[in-house]
Amino acid sequence: MSCYHLSLLLFDLKMNQSCFQRSLKDFEAVMGEYDLTTEEKIALRSGDPRQLRQLGVHGMLCLYIKRLDPEFRDNIYWKQK
Amino acid sequence: MPLVAALAASHAPNILLEPGAEWEDFMRLHYSMAPQGSAAKPTLEQQRKLRQDAETAFAALRADMEQANPDVLIVVANDQFVNFFWNNMPTFFVTVGDEVRGQFTRHKFRYRNHQELGKAIVRAGMAKGVDFSYGEYVELQHTQTVPLYFLLREPKIPILPIYVNTWVDPAPTPRRCYQVGELIRAVADQARERVAILATGGLSHFPGSPRIGEIDESFDHELLEVLRAGKGKSLIDYSVQDLLQAGDTEFLNWMVLLGAIGDAKASYTSYMPDFVATGWGFASWKL
Repeated sequence: MSCYHLSLLLFDLKMNQSCFQRSLKDFEAVMGEYDLTTEEKIALRSGDPRQLRQLGVHGMLCLYIKRLDPEFRDNIYWKQK
Repeated sequence: MPLVAALAASHAPNILLEPGAEWEDFMRLHYSMAPQGSAAKPTLEQQRKLRQDAETAFAALRADMEQANPDVLIVVANDQFVNFFWNNMPTFFVTVGDEVRGQFTRHKFRYRNHQELGKAIVRAGMAKGVDFSYGEYVELQHTQTVPLYFLLREPKIPILPIYVNTWVDPAPTPRRCYQVGELIRAVADQARERVAILATGGLSHFPGSPRIGEIDESFDHELLEVLRAGKGKSLIDYSVQDLLQAGDTEFLNWMVLLGAIGDAKASYTSYMPDFVATGWGFASWKL
């Protein structure tokens, strides 16, 4: 089963500053813009990269869900690509 | 002119992060994929030693490159979801724009891109059965900027980024990467300029995986021994799965370089596992 749209949302969290900023304000609305299954939305809401990986997301994209976590929001990792 | 220098180096982001707070931050995020990995956390002293050893290795590579006095540096590296996504995932991509830019933390990079050499490689590929993808715009990322910071901080010469898909299944075989390197060598031999080639990545590491923190040091040492013996071609029968199992798929970038240099023996190698994620490897060939 492809997880293209789930992966695309995580890619946009990495590369699209507008998507990232809007996600900080209203992640539910941003999720609504992507063709996601209920299971995928639950994994995204969990904020746990390991759950995303279990759904087939590439490991290098899973970490980007952490960009929305207040504990990791200023992490040095986001200042490089 | 023939190829005048060949270099290979890891591009792990923490090579260029400052020991201390930046390393801690980096590790904290990475270990959210595998909290058990944090047991191997290096001390500040170990972090500083690693940085120092990496700088020593890069200095050796830079000295070899400067002695060869190249006019252009081909940079063979992989994308990590900056330029490419599943809407279009090139196996091999050649940059044919005028310039390339990128940023790594507080460091900004801007180079002229050697458009003419890029197009010559694409054309030669089409004549020889390697249909490269190509495009004018790419954003440099750590896979290029970390080594470039140490090897070519001032943009004295143009570069030519060439991308290999090393992380997205299906990836090219080591044999195919070697063939692409042979093709690049043939073009370099016909070029007016003195051409150097840099391959980046590896060695063993498992980014974004539950195996993060594992480093297959024995596999890495075997690879470096092969390079010192000038037997790079002996690696073409490895499968992508072999490399994946050892966390060494970015060695596909190095396979391109090995195709370009043939049986030349590495004159310098250096290796240091970083405790956190990656076996940092370095090699240089005097051609």
